[in-house]
Amino acid sequence: MLRWLARRIIAAALVVFVVTSLVFVVTHVFTDPATVSLPLEASQEDRASRRAALGLDRPLSVQYWDFVSGLVVGDLGESFWQTQPASKLVFERLPATLKLVGGATAVTVLLAAPMGMLAAWWERRFADHAVLGFSMASISAPPFWIGYLLIIVFAVQLGWVPTFGSRGFVSLILPSFAIGLASAGRLAQMTRRGIVEELRKPYAVTALSRGFSRSYTIVHHTFRNVASGFVTMTGWELTRMFTGYTVVIEVVFAWPGVGRLAIHAIENRDLILVQAAVVVLATLVVVTNLLVDIARRMIDPRVELA
Amino acid sequence: MSTTNGNGRQERLLEVKDLTVGFPTRDGTVLGVDHLTLNVGSHERLGVVGESGSGKSVMGLAILGMVLPPGRIMGGSVRWRGEDVLDPGVANRVRGREIAMIFQDPMVSLNPLKTVGSQLRELLQRRVGLKGSAIRQRSLELLDMVGIANAGERLRAYAYELSGGMRQRVMIATALACEPTLVIADEPTTGLDVTIQDQILTLLHDLSTELGMSVLMITHDLGVVAQFCDRVQVMYAGRIVERAPINEMFADPQHPYSLGLLHSVPRADRDDGELTGIPGEPLDRAQFPPGCAFEPRCDEARDGCRDTPPPLLKIAERRWVACYNRPGEGSA
Repeated sequence: MLRWLARRIIAAALVVFVVTSLVFVVTHVFTDPATVSLPLEASQEDRASRRAALGLDRPLSVQYWDFVSGLVVGDLGESFWQTQPASKLVFERLPATLKLVGGATAVTVLLAAPMGMLAAWWERRFADHAVLGFSMASISAPPFWIGYLLIIVFAVQLGWVPTFGSRGFVSLILPSFAIGLASAGRLAQMTRRGIVEELRKPYAVTALSRGFSRSYTIVHHTFRNVASGFVTMTGWELTRMFTGYTVVIEVVFAWPGVGRLAIHAIENRDLILVQAAVVVLATLVVVTNLLVDIARRMIDPRVELA
Repeated sequence: MSTTNGNGRQERLLEVKDLTVGFPTRDGTVLGVDHLTLNVGSHERLGVVGESGSGKSVMGLAILGMVLPPGRIMGGSVRWRGEDVLDPGVANRVRGREIAMIFQDPMVSLNPLKTVGSQLRELLQRRVGLKGSAIRQRSLELLDMVGIANAGERLRAYAYELSGGMRQRVMIATALACEPTLVIADEPTTGLDVTIQDQILTLLHDLSTELGMSVLMITHDLGVVAQFCDRVQVMYAGRIVERAPINEMFADPQHPYSLGLLHSVPRADRDDGELTGIPGEPLDRAQFPPGCAFEPRCDEARDGCRDTPPPLLKIAERRWVACYNRPGEGSA
């Protein structure tokens, strides 16, 4: 188990390295931070001097070495929009994004698991159709639209929660739902289908024949067998959150996270800061996948220790 | 838990009457079990034999009031010591505690993600009501009863870590956990090596004698029936076609289908029967004739067989046959 874990961590680190290298290729080979930061009508001399000032006139291999060795010590370059270390800016914003993703994941899991079980329990009955309706609606609606809808209803009309910003737990509620509802819709359907299938399997029939109730069998027998897929899917949803939903929703709710920072960095043509944000978000995706692997191994002892 | 009033008389435990299970299909409702009647007494080992698709497994579950969707019980009664098992309240009490089932293919019939110990624990805790250290003690005892060595270690094992024979022993242990009076064994040896098959049958036989349990053995294997049962019922297309004590069935089968079954078992003094080789049946149950279901495959079929299914009639003491060519007592 420990050797397996060590191998997984090394593999994850390798993936982070490859991904960040790809980011470097995009930001330094296809274009460069100096060119992007200057207006389109800037003269060749302006560009050359800016490139020289940022050390971008050196050979690519040297720049790459700089980038990698900086990465190891957490140095992601200097943001010229904010004239501060990019890593400092990103890490300042990271807790807000993690809070948001945490909230959205809680919404996802706490809605999806019970809804999936209910739908399976009342298969083809009203509750099943209701859950399906919720899933279809939440999956079809874009998160930013759900976000605005929630703001209009709960913040503007009812005034229960603030419209934007991050002031304590209350302000976390709306953006968490805006992100989590679609994920919950997808996961609820997966859970329902999984449980319905598992309930027809011989081990579930055995449990029922021993006199265990249907609800006990669903919760204690079939859900355990669906859990591995549930965790995997939750991991995918987290990935989507880190790479897409948070960016949009942080803008909608003026949430001071990494996603909104990345948008501002793009608006201000600050390629170094964009690069830093992407590297950090990509690392989070890789870490998520690692955690999913570990969780699956803990749920299902048959998962290969490969 | 007492099983009988030890005066030697057989007590009627299970009485199934006209049990009918239907499955809706495009061609109308197909009857998986059709007016099934059977009785199991205390200390009795009854065999139900039939080929794949004859409704044996459907019958086993239906006796516990269970039918996999979209099937449903359409009629008849199941009584356990006079109580109606098809009543959910009674079923809840009886399932597992009084009647326990052993299934085919223990690989998939045990929960793959629960250890042997936790599967026994939940039964002993929730169905028997044991607490604390008594649970572990009883679990070890049960594994010991079914002949599993290193019981303490096996409690921590998952099903996939055990061999096929070992898994079936665990399955039997979970069936015995609530000290049932009747065990329904649905093809318990199918898919196991021949030597293991023999061990499992012997184990079940010994346990049923020691613990005074009755067994309803559902199988396609006449060898199993011969080795294990006191009495046998032959099932065809969801109906019982013959019922006889074991010796009489093998010495003098009456129904043409029983004859065919016995002939299809390779024996040195007879050539192989041709009946089991007929393709397409009996899965095409929807297209069966309104009369005797065996009529299309029967050598002795005549016009009178095609209108209504023959009733199961008594032809001698403890012998029943459903065939127009074997008129029962009292009929013309």
